[in-house]
Order: sequence, then C-alpha cells, then structure tokens
Amino acid sequence: MATSTLGGVSRFFGAFRWAFMPLGLFALIAVGVHAAADVVDDRLLRAVEWLDALFDGLLAQSEHTAAWVNRIDSRERTLIARGIALAWELSVDVFIALPALGYDEVDAVEKKFAMTRETWRTLLQRVNAKPTPMRLIRPVVTAVFSLAGAYAVSRLVESTLFVGLVGDVTSAEVAAPLARIFAGTAMTIVVFSHCWRAVLRAMQHADEATVKSKHPWVEGLWGSALALPLALALILESEALLSFFR
Amino acid sequence: MSATATFARPSRGLLDFLGAALCLWAAAYHTPVGALVRDLGARLFSAKTNTRPLLAYYTGGVYDAHEVSDPTPLTTPVPDIEVLTTIPPGRALGRGVFASASTLTGDQRATVDALAKRYNLTFATPDDAALVVERARVDLGSEEAAVLAVFAGYDIASYAAHRAGAEGRAMTLEVLSQRLPPSSSKALSSAGTALMLGTAYGLSWPVAPGTRVTSPFGWRNHPTLGRGQLHTGVDLSVPEGTPVKVVADGIVRRASEDAVNGRVVIIDHGRGVSTAYCHNSLLLVSTGQTVRAGDVIAHSGTTGRSTGPHVHYQLELGHKPMDPFAFRGSKPVLIEAPPPPPPTLKPDGTVQLKKAFDQFGPPPATEE
Repeated sequence: MATSTLGGVSRFFGAFRWAFMPLGLFALIAVGVHAAADVVDDRLLRAVEWLDALFDGLLAQSEHTAAWVNRIDSRERTLIARGIALAWELSVDVFIALPALGYDEVDAVEKKFAMTRETWRTLLQRVNAKPTPMRLIRPVVTAVFSLAGAYAVSRLVESTLFVGLVGDVTSAEVAAPLARIFAGTAMTIVVFSHCWRAVLRAMQHADEATVKSKHPWVEGLWGSALALPLALALILESEALLSFFR
Repeated sequence: MSATATFARPSRGLLDFLGAALCLWAAAYHTPVGALVRDLGARLFSAKTNTRPLLAYYTGGVYDAHEVSDPTPLTTPVPDIEVLTTIPPGRALGRGVFASASTLTGDQRATVDALAKRYNLTFATPDDAALVVERARVDLGSEEAAVLAVFAGYDIASYAAHRAGAEGRAMTLEVLSQRLPPSSSKALSSAGTALMLGTAYGLSWPVAPGTRVTSPFGWRNHPTLGRGQLHTGVDLSVPEGTPVKVVADGIVRRASEDAVNGRVVIIDHGRGVSTAYCHNSLLLVSTGQTVRAGDVIAHSGTTGRSTGPHVHYQLELGHKPMDPFAFRGSKPVLIEAPPPPPPTLKPDGTVQLKKAFDQFGPPPATEE
C-alpha cells in the first residue's frame, strides 16, 4: 500500500519533469560555476593590484599623466576584481549552464529516451570520429562544475541543518552526525539524479552546435576558453571533496 | 511523444524532484544568479528581499559589511606627541570583541553571555572579553573561530572550525563563513567587525613614539593642490632616511613608485586591515614578501607629491581609510584648531563598525 502511494507521488512529480529537470540542471551548474569563481576571485584581486601598480608606475613617468596616479584606491581595486569574477561567472553561466535549460528526456536527434546507453554510445562515437574543442571540453567542464555544485549543495544542506538543529532542538553531538547523513543523502541524490544528465546534455548541446556549424573547430571556443580555467581551478581545489569522508 | 510518456522509471520522479529542489534552493541563496532572480521576483511582486549585493557573494566579502559611512567622526584631535606603546595582541582582540559585542541586543547578546557562562566568566569589560576569547581559542584552535564562537555560539563555531579543518584549510573568517548557512550572516558580520577592530587596536607605530604629526587625518586644504581634500592618513615628521617599521605581521601587497605617493609600501595584515607608508626614499621589501611586526620596510623621504621629509602613514579597515590615532590610547595635545567639518557624505554601507567604535571609543591612555 505504502509502495503504491509512494509510486503515485513519484508519478505525480514525474509529470512535471519537463519543468523542474532543466531548471535543476541549470541551477546545479550555476552553483558549481560560482564555487569556481569564488576560488579564483582572490587571485584576480592580486592581479588587479599588480596591474594597478604597473599602470601607476607608467603614468608617473610623464607630468601629463601623473595626475591619474593613485586614482583607484584599495576598495575600488577589490570592486574591480570582484566585478571581473562576477562577469566571468555570468559569462560561463551563459555558455555552460544556460544550454542545460534545453534538456529534454527525449533526445531531439535520436528520437529516443535520453537515458539509454545507446544515446551515450552514439554521442561518444561522434566525439571519437570528429573530435572538436567543443565536443571535448564542454562535457568535461560540465562534469567538474556539476560535481562541485553537488558538493556545494551538500555543504549547504549540512550547515543549514546543523545550525537549525543545534541548541534548541538537540545537542551538537546529535545534530552533527544527523546533518552529515542528510548532506551525504543530498549529495547522492543530486549526483545520481542530475550530474550525469548535465554531462549528457552538454554532450548533446556540443554535438548539435558542432553539426550545425560551418567551422566546427572554432564553434563554442569562447565558452570553452572561459570555462576551462574555472574548471581547472576547481580541480586544483578538489581535495576539499575528500573532506566529506573525514 | 511527450517527455513523461517516455519516462521509464516513474518511481524516480520524487528523487529527481528532490534533487532539482535542492539545486534550485542552493542556487537561489548561494549564487549571484540566484540573487538576481530573487531580486527580479521581488520587484515583480513588489515584495521585500534580503539579497546581498552581487559582489558580496565572493570570498573576502565577510569584511565588507563593516564599511564606515563617514569616518570623520572617528578622528581625534591633532596629536602633538604620541607617547604610547602597543596594546598586547590578546587584549587588543578582547577590546575589538567587546566593542563589537556592545552593539548587540536581545538574542545576539545572549549568545555572547552564553559563551562567557560556558567558561564561568563574565563579559563586562574588554579584559573579560579577552579572557573568554583566549579560552575559546584554546578549545577551537584559532582566534577567528574563537571570535566566531562569541557571536554565533560555541557549537556553531566548533562545527565550522571542524569542517574547515577537515578540508585542510586555514581557519580564517572567510573560510569559516563558507561552512555556515546564509542565516549566520549577522554573527559573521559582528565577528568580522570584532576582528578588524581587534587587529587595528593591536597595531604598533611605524616610527618612534613621540614623532610629531604635521598633518592629521581628515579634511584639509591640500598643501600642493590648494583645494579641500580628505587626508586619508597621518603625516609623521621624520628626517630623511629614518627607518620605517611595519606595524604588524602581513604580506606586502604593493612596493612601487608613483608621482603622488612616491615610493610606497602597502601591507595587508589580514582580517580586512591594511596599512600604507608613502613618500619613502628607499624601499626594502618587494611585492608578495611576508613581513613581521617591527621589520624595517623602507627609509623615509620626500618622494612623490610632498613638501618635506615625512612618512604618510595610512590605515584602512574594510577598504576604508581610518584615523590611526583613533585606535591609540593617547590623549594628544592640541596644537591647532580642529580641522573644518567635512562635506556631508552619502552613506554607502552599513554603519556597524562605526557604531561599535562610537559606543566604545579609543582605549584609555592608562591601559598602555
């Protein structure tokens, strides 16, 4: 009885997959991209400070330009660095996360259920036969952003639950393991429901764009060029993922 | 053929929905894109929203909420002789924590008292605060976590410190803040204020105590430009070639020369505090170098826009220039009339730091 009720609820929610799955995939990638931008923003600030000092040195060499020296203070340098991080993040969202909104359970080309092994096999065969930067890079960076997003989601679940439970509801000794169990569950759900779909959608999008393009080798180059450094920054920080087991 | 008709395993519908809901929730409260969407939604439905500014979603934003809307009320009278030494670091931090806690009310204040009670201590003076923070530091492993414990509670700070430790990261307030949900922003804000003030109270002086101040912090007629301008530091009159010492541990963010500041060194002390030393004749450090309190970083001079040998010493908290004397315990002798009142400034941030400082003020001279 309980199983059939659960099945009924599941079917009810399943009827709205066309709406929540694309949105969920977009949100997951956006969270991962933000985690990456948060990693690089400090390095961006150092770069802005270095450039500012360089320009001040150059401007100081002429009486005509000396008045422009020191025009940008430390607050403005920080705003510039964070502004660059924000613009970078939004750009990658447009190139990488936005195509996820086109996700459908039915593959437009194959006219088959997107979950089948055949779809994966077909797409991988195309990558193998005609590799292009977009076909190679997009799925990889999407996988990195998705995993980072799943980790960020689980961290948010854990901290929110812990802070909500500790004190008035229960002790820290109970709240901490409870929050970790929920965080682990949340990460498992997101990884198994969304991460692979995000990668599949990235492969589909890259494939469609490459097939349509007259210049497949330069297709999507901007998006890939912007996303790759952020994905690499996340990979360099990936040790944090292991903390889940500590 | 509809998407749902091809969905092979309807039993997964609930889990997929849960996954999507979690992702959307995290994106809404954890990313600038989410903030944009929430803002848009609030405008469409004329509802209130508590979204942070977009640029506050990046690391380091933890010290941004403490911008002083108008630093001039914090200026002290023109000091003739600075005779005092530095407050010991522990007491300085206690002073910062006490100042920040003095702005709290209700439940937030109860959290502070609860931590003191945990250690069978009181929280009635800056020295009490220093003792509470020290006890929490021993338990939690870092000053940042201890200060967070004062404002967020011991268990929450302990949790954040444990998770940061598990990830192998330094326990800075920025890192700890990433382990806490958005609902902890008020506690993080108070902790940030406390750490900034505590660091500022603990700074030493770049030249010998007693050095005459030729131009104080505040609005003045610029000696070479001939127009009114906010003097963002204090000018310390010293002969050319005087060793200039860094006032606290830090990293050299800038060591360069330009036509305005001359040969300048900027040091980042962390916790939202930085200092600058301008118009030097010789720089002894380079960008990226780590320096310890008391290290000689430059020799004074009169390079750049300067009318004579001096050190322009500048202190910034949360990227805002502050009067360095505001954090000293001196009772300076007036040598001239106070500077003219500044033009009215439009507030551009919260006034938490200013409130904390105003309620508490500079340390009394007897303490140093």
